[in-house]
Amino acid sequence: MAVTEEPGKPRNWQERLQILQDRLYDRLFHNFVWRSIFRSGYPNTPRSQMLVVATNVFLHLHPTRIHRTHVKITHTYCLGGLTFFMFIVLTVTGVLLMFYYVPSTETAYQDIAALHTNVKFGLLMRNLHRWTAHAMVILVFLHMMRVFYTGAYKPPREFNWVVGVTLLFLTLFLSFTGYLLPWDQLAIWAITVGHGIAGSAPYLGDEGQFVLFGGFEIGQPALIRFYTLHVLALPLLAAIMMAVHFWRIRRDGGMARPL
Amino acid sequence: MAVETERPAAPPERPVAAARPRPKREREEELLVWPDLVFVEFISAVLFTLTFMLLSVFINAPLLNRANTDITPNPSKAPWYFLNLQELLLHMDKAWAGVILPIMFLGFLAVIPYLDRSSEKQGVWFGTKYSARIALVAALYAIVVTWGLVLFDDGERSKFEYATRWIPSCDMNAESGQPEAHQFPPCLVDTAAGHQGIVRASVDLQGPPQGRFMFSVGSLDWPADVDHIPWPFNDNKVGCWSFKNIHGWCGEHFNLAGTFAQQIFPLSTIAFLTVLIIYILFRIGWVRTTRDVMIVMFTGALSAYLTLTIVMSFFRGPGQDLILPTDIKVDCGTLPSPPGCP
Ligand code: HEM
Repeated sequence: MAVTEEPGKPRNWQERLQILQDRLYDRLFHNFVWRSIFRSGYPNTPRSQMLVVATNVFLHLHPTRIHRTHVKITHTYCLGGLTFFMFIVLTVTGVLLMFYYVPSTETAYQDIAALHTNVKFGLLMRNLHRWTAHAMVILVFLHMMRVFYTGAYKPPREFNWVVGVTLLFLTLFLSFTGYLLPWDQLAIWAITVGHGIAGSAPYLGDEGQFVLFGGFEIGQPALIRFYTLHVLALPLLAAIMMAVHFWRIRRDGGMARPL
Repeated sequence: MAVETERPAAPPERPVAAARPRPKREREEELLVWPDLVFVEFISAVLFTLTFMLLSVFINAPLLNRANTDITPNPSKAPWYFLNLQELLLHMDKAWAGVILPIMFLGFLAVIPYLDRSSEKQGVWFGTKYSARIALVAALYAIVVTWGLVLFDDGERSKFEYATRWIPSCDMNAESGQPEAHQFPPCLVDTAAGHQGIVRASVDLQGPPQGRFMFSVGSLDWPADVDHIPWPFNDNKVGCWSFKNIHGWCGEHFNLAGTFAQQIFPLSTIAFLTVLIIYILFRIGWVRTTRDVMIVMFTGALSAYLTLTIVMSFFRGPGQDLILPTDIKVDCGTLPSPPGCP
């Protein structure tokens, strides 16, 4: 749509608008700063649009083309994508929270309380982290229901469903380990319930409890374990599983469709 | 972009083929990811960002007082997505409610695609005939049944336990020989000292129960000893092995009463009610394939999960008693204090 031919006199307001639009497009996407970053203008032909998806490191998670039924909002309600988006938001806000949080029973509570009072946007970051964490748990369940009721787990996608189940577990476990970190009454007593549940496992209860909580009650060993799991081990594992999940969607021939 | 092309004129020697519309080619049904999909993703990401920004500006994450192991909140509750397990704990053996059933649930989810191998009608919402109504019925059924069971099993001591009242529970008060009123249903494994080997001690503890049918087998008195039947070999080398923290049955006793109240009754009830709904739906012809059975079980399990979560979240007060949501007190431990607090 780059304006190349000599513009005649505009005959009506649509044409005027078109001219304005083209000028704007040129200004925005054909200037030398834009070109220095993206090497080409805004992709406005099918060819360049497919290229941009295939060559961009973030967009190439997608195929270049997709069946029209899958673009309909009502097919996926974007649930898987939004779960992933929540994961990204949680990573960003979580990193910011880590700047202020020391996983020690002495200081943890003060650190969180300081987020409320002393740290600029600290409370906002904490709130965002908290609410998106809840949202992720809800979304992952809804996503699973979407996949189930559209029968999208059937061959050849069986294994990706299993990968999904591990992601469901990881999401719950991530949220659970994060719950202890504020070290307030809510945290410690909620985790105490979980502690009791873990201890009730037949035969391996005591051992399991000890491995997970570092002792038979909830103290510093439990806090450091939960912290490490929460900020390092589980997110890493979840990210790996998500990579496998997305890879398998592509390998299994895109999303499920009636045969 | 999908472009409708005109159907080529049918060759005259094949008139039959011309009568049918030519099926669309794959390519024509496809859209470009950029812009069609990327646009949708972008908009939904923006909407979510805005929503959560607003939410976070107006609603603060809870922060109560500093953790204090001396002050136990009543009730203390797990994170909301585990409240269903906590609710289950009130109704059956801890190991089942907290560990075995959840693992079975995840395991069931994982094997669904290996049980239901049919592939017709995939990728469409409620693709097969009746699947929508099966899901609806299963959801309603699970909600009603779960609520029913929760109400039935409510009270000081669970109803399942009442059903086993004819055999004494193992929570005996040492002085009176009566079950301790506050104590939660009997334990599966009787760990009381003095119960090693073939039991005799119970006679001193309890005295003969009044008005019950009594007899003895070997050195066991029935029904007084029903809650601590020794396992075979529990007092010799064969049963009494141990490796690190893992023990064989060393001095352990089988609690018939506890097993009934805590395991056999609750679990068989769940199993029976599941089979019942599948059977009914099968008889009226709605459930016909493995896929349909999966829909019933998946929907039922999720609905029960949700119902239990709701019960524990909104209907359990101090002492985990059932109360109405309106009777749940405002928690005054939060920072800043909610309205209605000193
Ligand atoms: C952290 C958790 C998860 C993330 C980030 C995630 C992400 C995604 C995304 C982005 C898609 C593309 C389609 C869509 O948006 O619906 C997808 C598809 C899929 N997901 Fe997930 N997912 C997660 C958890 C799960 C769970 C718990 C299950 C099942 C138990 C599951 C099973 C599947 C399957 C089978 C597909 C293919 C669907 C189709 O072919 O239509 N995923 N997932």
